[in-house]
Amino acid sequence: MVKRQSALASVYHRGMYGRPGEPGIRLQEVAGLNLAQVAAWPDNLEPAAKDVAQAIGADKAPGPGYAVSTEQGTVLRVEALKWWLLDCGLPTLDSETTVSLDLSHSRTRILVSGPEASVCLNRLLPLDLRPDRFGVDKVANAGIHHVGVTLWHSDAGYELFIPRGFAVSLWELLVETSEQFGLEIV
Amino acid sequence: MTAQRLRKGGHIDRTRPLTFRWDGTSMSGYAGDSLASALMANGEQILGRSFKYHRPRGIMSAGVEESGALVTVGQGAKQDANVRATTQPLYEGLIARGQNAWPSVRLDFGAINSLFGRFFAAGFYYKTFMGLPPFEWGRGTGMWMRYEKIIRKAAGMGTASREPDPDRYEHAHGYCDLLIVGSGPAGRAAAHCAAKAGCDVILVEQDAALGGDTLSQPGNTSTLQGELSALRACGVRLMTSTTAFGLYDNGVAGLLERVTDHLADSPSWLPRQRFWTVRARATLIAAGALERHIAFGDNDRPGVMTVNAGRTYLNRFAIQAGENIVIATNNDSAYTTASDLADSGASVTMLDSRHEISRSLQSQCDAAGIGIKLEAAPMKALGGKAVSGLTAAIRKGNSWRTDGNIDCDLLLVSGGWSPVVNLLSHRGIKPVWNPELACFLAPASDEPIVAAGSAAGVWDDSACRASGEKAALEALELIRNPAHRAAAQTPGDWECPIDPLYEVRPVKQKLKSFVDPQHDVTTDDIRLAHHEGFVSVEHLKRYTTLGMATDQGKMGNIIGIALMADALGKEIPQVGTTTFRPPYTPVSIGALKGRNVGPHFRPLRRTPMHDWNLDAGGTMTMAGLWHRPWFFARSGETISEAYVREAETVRRTVGLCDVTSLGKIAIQGPDATELLNRVYSNPFAKLPIGKTRYGIMLRDDGLVMDDGTTWRLAENEYFMTTTTAHAAKVMAFLEELLQTRWTDLKVHLTSVSEQWAGVAVAGPLSREVLAACVEQPTRVADETLPFMGVVETTMREGIPARIARISFSGERAFEVYVPSDFGPAVMQSLWDAARPMDGCLYGLEALGALRIEKGHVTGAELDGRVTIEDAGLGRMASDKKTYVGSALRKRPEMVRKNRPRLVGIFPKDRREIFNAGSILCAADNIAGYGEGWITAVTHSPALGHWIGLGFIKGGHEAWQGQDVVCADPVRKGNTSVEIVSPHMYDPQGERMYG
Repeated sequence: MVKRQSALASVYHRGMYGRPGEPGIRLQEVAGLNLAQVAAWPDNLEPAAKDVAQAIGADKAPGPGYAVSTEQGTVLRVEALKWWLLDCGLPTLDSETTVSLDLSHSRTRILVSGPEASVCLNRLLPLDLRPDRFGVDKVANAGIHHVGVTLWHSDAGYELFIPRGFAVSLWELLVETSEQFGLEIV
Repeated sequence: MTAQRLRKGGHIDRTRPLTFRWDGTSMSGYAGDSLASALMANGEQILGRSFKYHRPRGIMSAGVEESGALVTVGQGAKQDANVRATTQPLYEGLIARGQNAWPSVRLDFGAINSLFGRFFAAGFYYKTFMGLPPFEWGRGTGMWMRYEKIIRKAAGMGTASREPDPDRYEHAHGYCDLLIVGSGPAGRAAAHCAAKAGCDVILVEQDAALGGDTLSQPGNTSTLQGELSALRACGVRLMTSTTAFGLYDNGVAGLLERVTDHLADSPSWLPRQRFWTVRARATLIAAGALERHIAFGDNDRPGVMTVNAGRTYLNRFAIQAGENIVIATNNDSAYTTASDLADSGASVTMLDSRHEISRSLQSQCDAAGIGIKLEAAPMKALGGKAVSGLTAAIRKGNSWRTDGNIDCDLLLVSGGWSPVVNLLSHRGIKPVWNPELACFLAPASDEPIVAAGSAAGVWDDSACRASGEKAALEALELIRNPAHRAAAQTPGDWECPIDPLYEVRPVKQKLKSFVDPQHDVTTDDIRLAHHEGFVSVEHLKRYTTLGMATDQGKMGNIIGIALMADALGKEIPQVGTTTFRPPYTPVSIGALKGRNVGPHFRPLRRTPMHDWNLDAGGTMTMAGLWHRPWFFARSGETISEAYVREAETVRRTVGLCDVTSLGKIAIQGPDATELLNRVYSNPFAKLPIGKTRYGIMLRDDGLVMDDGTTWRLAENEYFMTTTTAHAAKVMAFLEELLQTRWTDLKVHLTSVSEQWAGVAVAGPLSREVLAACVEQPTRVADETLPFMGVVETTMREGIPARIARISFSGERAFEVYVPSDFGPAVMQSLWDAARPMDGCLYGLEALGALRIEKGHVTGAELDGRVTIEDAGLGRMASDKKTYVGSALRKRPEMVRKNRPRLVGIFPKDRREIFNAGSILCAADNIAGYGEGWITAVTHSPALGHWIGLGFIKGGHEAWQGQDVVCADPVRKGNTSVEIVSPHMYDPQGERMYG
C-alpha cells in the first residue's frame, strides 16, 4: 500500500529552535496513527467496557477522563460512552452492544515532552495540568485556538490528538510557543 | 525641586549603570531605577504637559496612580504612548520622550490654552459647538460632526504608532489554590502562612521588584530577600511585573505579565506581554492603598507629589527629591517620611491640618529637627515651571485664611489613603465609606475573596503582616468550606484620627485646584457639574471626565466625590462611589489577542490535498475556516478565463475537484435509520444498503437548515455529508436532539470530516477515470454503481475507498472518499488518468458556475429564510411522516403562494452582466425592497451568457413574460432581466442520469 502522508509533511523540520541550551520542550509527531473508536449505550456500558479492556488485554477499561495501557495498546475514555483504542486496530466486538469506527486518519498525534511541557501547553490550552490534577494516564478534551483537541498524559509526555485539517495551524502555534523554552523537534 | 542621587542606600545596583535617552538627550541611571527615578536623578522636572491646558507636569507619585509623568517610550513601530514613567523599569538604551507638547515639554506652545483656561470648563466643547450659533447652525448635528474631527485632533495625550505591532504576545492559563495580589508585608505574610499549610499559592506583583511597601522603607534588603527565599522554598510561585487587572466569575483573574518591557534587546522567542487567565479556588487581595492628594491652588505644579512617593524615591531609588521640603498632611502616615527625609539631610517642615498630633509624633519631629505647623495646609503652590514655595493657609473655624509664604523646592502631600478595592469592585462588591479612616473599604464578600493589609484599611507594617496571616487562614477555610463566611479585617491603627480634608479653599480666592490632573479636572469643574444639575456621581464622572481612561479613579475619585457631597449637602456615603471596572491598569490590545494574529487570526483548516493543489497551480480561497482551491489558472489566464475553461471542460470531458471540506458524519447504531427519518423531510426509512439519498433537513421553525446526501453503508450505519458551511451546525443539532429530545434512540454520531479526503470526479468521462484508478473496474460500472449508488471498494495500491455516484455539477459524476493520509496519492492517481483525457482540475469558482447552471442550492440560497418550497424542493417533503419542522412548515405564512421562490435569471440582452446581491423589481416599480433578490451569478459556459439564481415573489411562473429589472443602484445600475426556471441547463437531467 502507498505510504501515508502526514498532515505535517510540509512543515515538520527536525532540529533545535529558540532559546539556546538544553531544550525545555520536545515535539514529535507520532506518525502512522492507529486509532479506533468504540461507542456503547448506557444500558450496555459494562459488557462493552469488558470487551474494550479485553481488546488490549487489560483487566479493566478506564473510567471517564482516564487511560489504560498494556503492551497491546492503549484505551482512552474520551467521552462518557466512547473509548479510543490506540495502536491495536479495529477490534471485533459484539455489534449488538457497541459500534466501532476507524479514526486513524482523523487526527494528528503530537507528543509534547520535556521539563517545560505542561507550562508550554498551558500557554495554549485551559486545562489544570498540575501533577496532582493531571497525572499520568489522565485524558481530557480541551481546545487550542478554538479547535477541539484531546490530551492524554502518557508515560512519554503529553500526547495531543489534533483534528487533521487544523494540524498545520496548531503545529505552527505549538512551535512558536515552544521556542521560548528551547525546542527540539524530534 | 533639586533632586540628588545619594551615594549609598536604596535598591538600585550602582555596579550596573544604564544609559538612556530622554527627549533626545543622553542620560544615565542604574539598574533598579524606574524611568521616573532616573529622570529625577538627572534633574528633569517637567516630564509632561496636561491634557487640556498644557500645564507643565512633573512626577506626582511613584506608582500606577501617576498622572503627571505620562510619557512615550520607544520609537517607530514599537512606540508606546501614555506610559507611566513611574512604573517603567529603566533599561539600557531606553528611548523616551514627552508628549502632548510642541516643540517639547519644557517649552510648549500649547500652553497658550492655559490663558483661556476659564473657558475650558467641563462640557466646553459641547456647550460651545453644539447647537449654538454662530458655531453651529442648520438642522441636525452636521456642523458638530465637522468640529468634532478638529477637536479630536487636538485632544488626547500620546500618539500610537500607525505601523503594525512587531511584538509577539501570548495567552497563558494558570491554576492555584490561592491567588495573592500584592507582595507587600500583608501579601508575603499571607503567602507564607498559606503555603506552609500546604496550599498551592501564586503571588503576583505589578512592580518589577517584589516587596511592595517594604521597598520604600529604609534599611538593607537582606530581610526582604530572606522572606522571599522562604516563600520560594515553600513552593510559592512568585510573578513580578504582573498586574492582576480584573477579577471575574468563579475565581477567574485576568493578569498581564510584562515579559520583556524591561529588556533592551528581547530575544525573538519571548513574547512582549503575556495575558494570563488564572483560576484560583480563593483570592486574597493585598494590593495596598494609594495615597491621595489634597486639592489646593496649582497643586499640579512640578515638585508637588505624594508623601509616600518622596519616601519611595529616597529609600528605594536613593534619591533625595528636594533639599527644602514641606510636607502637608492630614494624617499620621506622613511623619515616617518626614523623619526619613530629615535623616537624609533635607530640611523638612510639616503642615498638619489637624489641631493636634500624638506626643510620640511630636517627639519624633523634635528629635529630627522638623518644624510642625498645626491646623495648617498649603493654599497655593508657587513657582514657574517647578515649585519654589507655597502660600500657607491656616484654619480659622470652618474656613482657611492665608498665612504667609514658605520657600521650598519640594511639596509633599498626603490627603489620606484609598485602599485598592478595585478588584473587589469588579465582583460587584460595593465599597463602604469608613468615616474614621476617610476611605472606602470593601465589606466581606460572598465569594472566596478576602482582603488584607492596607487594601483592607490596615496601615501599620506589623499590623499588615498580622492581617495577611489572618486573611490567609480565612482563605484556607474558604477553600475547605465554601459555605464559610470570612470576617472582614479590623482596619486602622493611627494614633490620631485623620482630618477629612479634601480641598483647601480660602474665602473669595480663585484658585486652579486639580482633582484629577490626568484629565485637567478641577474643583470648579465639580462644582460646575453640580450647578448644572448633575447629582449622580456616575453622571458627574462622565460629564467632567473625572477618573476616566487609564486613571480609573485612582488619583482624584475620593476628592471628587467629597466635593460633590459637599455641594449637595450630603455625606459621602449618601453620594456613593463610582464602580471600578477592569482593567485596573491598561492592557494592550496585542495582549488580548495573544498569538491569534496574522495567519493565525483564525485557525486555518487545510485539506489533505492542500499542498498537492498548490503544486498543481491552484489558487486558494477561504470557505469558512477551510482553504479550498478557487481556480487553477494556466499561464496568462485570469480567474474568469480559468473558471470558464474549467466548467466547460467538466461538461465536455472530466474534471477533478477537492471536496474534502464537505461535512461528514458517521451515524451508527440500531436507531440510526429512525433518527434520519425524523430529521430529514423526505423519507429515509427504506433507503437500501449501498444507496445514497439527497436529503433536506429543516429547523424546528420549518425553515431549511441544510441539505446533503446520506449513504447507507450497513443496516445500522450511515455516512452523512453536509454543506461545508453548516457541518458543525448540523452535527451540533443532531447531538442536541439525541441528548435532549430523543434520549431513547440508540445512535452515535461522530464527525468524520477529518477522516476522509474527498474528490469529485465529474464529467462525461468520469467513469473512465475512476475505472482506471480502482483495483476492480467492474465495481464502478453502471450496473454496480448506478445513479445514487454507493460502493465500498479499493483504489489502486490497496487504498480503501467509498464512492457514490452523485452529482452537484449536473454531469455524470462521483464522489470518492479515501482515508485522509491517502488523499494526495489518490488525487495524483485520478489526475494521471484524467489528464490524458483532456480533463482538468477545477476549483470553487467553476463548481459554483456548474451548480448555478443546474439550479442546485447552497448556503447562499439556504440562508435561514427559505422554506423547502421556496427552494423548489417542496415535492421531496413527505406528508406521510412527522419530522423536525414538519408542523411549523405549514404555517400560513410559510405556505403563502407569493413567497419568494427560487428562480433562474437571464439578462434580456445576453451580453449584459449583473451582480449577486442585486434587487429584483418589476420594471415599472423600481423601489423599496423590490420583489426579490439575486443570490448567485456566473458566466455560463454552457449557455454562453451570464445567468443568476435568486428568489422572486411567486416564482418564475408568476413572472413569465413580464419585465423585470435587476436593480443594483450602488454598483452597476439597472439591468433588464428575464425570470426563468432555476434549472437552466439540462433540466431533465439526462447528462446526470445517463
